[in-house]
Amino acid sequence: MNKQKVKSNNAVISALKKSNMTAMGVVLILMIVIASVLSPYFLDIYNLQALIRDLAFIGMIGIGQSLLLLIGELDLSVGKIASLCGILAGMMMVTYGLNPYLSLVAALLLGLVFGAINGVIITKLRLNSMVATIGMQGVYGGINLVLTKGKAITGIPSSIYIFGKGNLGPLPFPFVFTIIVLICVLFLVKKTKTGRYIYAIGNSREAAKILGIKVDRIRIMIYAIVGFISSLAGILYVARLGSSQSAIGESWPMNSIASSVIGGVSLTGGIGNPAGALIGAAVISIIQNMIVLFGVNVYWQSAVSGIVVVLAISFSSISDIVRERKQRKIKVN
Amino acid sequence: MNILEAHNITKLFPGVVALDSVDVSFEAGEIHCVIGENGAGKSTLIKCLTGVYEPESGEIMINGQDARKNKSLFNKIAYVPQEIDLFGQMSVAENLFLPYQKSGLKGLVNQRKLEEKAISFLERFHIPVQPDELVKNISFSAQQLLQIARATVHEDYEVLMLDEPTTSLTTEDTQILFDIVRGIKEEGKAVIFISHKLEEIFALGDVITVFRNGKKVAYSKIKDIDVGWVIAQMTGRKVEQNQTFWSEKVMDEVLLEVRNLTGERFTDISFDLKKGEILGLSGLVGAGRSELMQAVFGYLPIYSGTVKLEGQNWKLGDTSYSVKNGLVYLPEERKKQGILPVLSTRENISVSALEKLQAPIGISSHKEVELAQEIVDIYDIKTPDMEKEIQFLSGGNQQKVIIGRSMCCDPKVLVFDEPTKGIDVGTKAEIYRLMKELAEQKGIGIILISSEMDEIKKCSNRIIALYEGEKAGEYDARADKETILSAIIGVKS
Repeated sequence: MNKQKVKSNNAVISALKKSNMTAMGVVLILMIVIASVLSPYFLDIYNLQALIRDLAFIGMIGIGQSLLLLIGELDLSVGKIASLCGILAGMMMVTYGLNPYLSLVAALLLGLVFGAINGVIITKLRLNSMVATIGMQGVYGGINLVLTKGKAITGIPSSIYIFGKGNLGPLPFPFVFTIIVLICVLFLVKKTKTGRYIYAIGNSREAAKILGIKVDRIRIMIYAIVGFISSLAGILYVARLGSSQSAIGESWPMNSIASSVIGGVSLTGGIGNPAGALIGAAVISIIQNMIVLFGVNVYWQSAVSGIVVVLAISFSSISDIVRERKQRKIKVN
Repeated sequence: MNILEAHNITKLFPGVVALDSVDVSFEAGEIHCVIGENGAGKSTLIKCLTGVYEPESGEIMINGQDARKNKSLFNKIAYVPQEIDLFGQMSVAENLFLPYQKSGLKGLVNQRKLEEKAISFLERFHIPVQPDELVKNISFSAQQLLQIARATVHEDYEVLMLDEPTTSLTTEDTQILFDIVRGIKEEGKAVIFISHKLEEIFALGDVITVFRNGKKVAYSKIKDIDVGWVIAQMTGRKVEQNQTFWSEKVMDEVLLEVRNLTGERFTDISFDLKKGEILGLSGLVGAGRSELMQAVFGYLPIYSGTVKLEGQNWKLGDTSYSVKNGLVYLPEERKKQGILPVLSTRENISVSALEKLQAPIGISSHKEVELAQEIVDIYDIKTPDMEKEIQFLSGGNQQKVIIGRSMCCDPKVLVFDEPTKGIDVGTKAEIYRLMKELAEQKGIGIILISSEMDEIKKCSNRIIALYEGEKAGEYDARADKETILSAIIGVKS
């Protein structure tokens, strides 16, 4: 009987381990139910499409950010990489008259390069990722201003609007891209060697090195992937607005970290699932949507959404505490 | 007189009886050793006696008063934990007296007074450091002694509880520690000494209590018993004491050649390792043994010298190359450098074998489970569930997981760095047997780094002694203990 009890306890723990994400899934469904009961406009197709379009951008960046959180690092320059890539794509199309599609591909590759630069600086100079990317966001933002002198680039060819404003069936196009990104990232994380190594590095960088894992190479690779995803989000946003602006992505660094953490990805590395970031992004977007639908005073909007985000994060932290309690009890034996 | 008594203590955890009606008492002026395998209930007992855990039943009497009713009595017990638990960025003096109300310092902190007061403690404990040095800059030995000094700062203490205090001490410092502990005993305090090292228990202890599976199984005066008795009580069976585990099938072929290797903590080291041989690296803590092998493995940098494996030049400074080409290092710091704590046993095993688990699309989870199960069976890893996070396994089982997964890399040379640190007597023998089997059956060359002379003597075919980063001698397994000991403490023969 004793043994059985221990076993069921383990089941509780392994369920709890995954629970941050599943629990937030439940919270998300509750929020949807509450929102649709409280506001007749919530389930309106136009509202939902607008909501999902917003969610797609936070979610996409969040999925990338969660990869970095899994190795215990983060990138605060995602927003500036996004806007810089948007500007560069815009300049290629408008100023130099390049083929729009070619410009988009070039901008994506540049995002990859910017990300890789972050990675190389952080690994080779052994910098803290947070401090280094605060610095790098200044650099990318600065280039941005030098190129545009603060003005938006208008006259983007309308042939690319579909990627930002269009729908595929009922689904907004950016969301389709988010799903594609999620599938690729999930495959990387769950099914490839590199994915396993990511979790190993997040558990212990020293142990990973002793296991013979090329730790720095993988870290640089993840920064590059995050740069690529940021760039993708940036150019999709340009397609949505029809112009390139340096203000794109201002809120993305914080929102992407928040959505990952809400979705159960640990800040210290090694624990979590990138899919959680999408759930977290949905939670954040619904909060913002509800604030608008309920007509919360404009001046209060930011405070209210901040409070709800903190509550959501504490929710997962509380389940961490519960999990640790259980662990401590078992560890003693 | 009994200062500390526990009657009928029972402590339950979900599914486990950690302590089963335990009666134990500690007398003033006596060194009382507590011993038992991992999971025998020692740490639970300590936590009950120091008031960290609340037992389900039983009473704890300190100076004849019920400590469960009057918690302040627990202040009479000075506890020194096994792991170093100091503030690295603060000075020695600050570490000694924090928190200040404990040491009777009131009001504003006077740095100079603090340092003056610290000097008497440093002298008493023979800690060769200045009170204003930062703790992170002093040696491990000094930190360990400082930790003990800190526990005695509280003048009211009557019981000193030492949990494996010698794990990171050199032989010399262990002697200093023993003298101090004897002094404390003379003052009429009770000392509780918890250790896996039987030699120390016989050198220091007056009485001994043995735990097994949550029960107190034996109590005796040390002078009435011998090592065999202790092991029999601990394990519940008789373990052959003088068994040796060196390899009987050493081949002539040289596997690893190290020539004139110099790095941060070692100079001009040369040695050979043959196929199927177990080579012991002996030396004091800080002699450069781990650093030498970590450098050969590529984890630490090398200034000069060459390494060859099977006659081929070896690339230094790249752990990934080393693992791929058959040199695997099993670290001493199992928790920090060995296991991936929040991943499951399955993932901890498969991380070394992912190349073999490739399916047409990604990693095959079916193959992965199969492989992990195979390793669990071969190496007799005791876990109720492979999906359980590895941090919940005992040290011995974690070590077996690490050995098992290393074998997935098809190693030619295995470096075991303190493989039995913190592992109980019964499991130690299992680890030794595994090393012997790997050397004999697979022709693997094994390098064993160990601070325990007995372990080195039992397991190695050949022994190299290091002293302050230099090779002090090379000995046959049958060389006598004294010769090797004098080499590692720097006595030239």
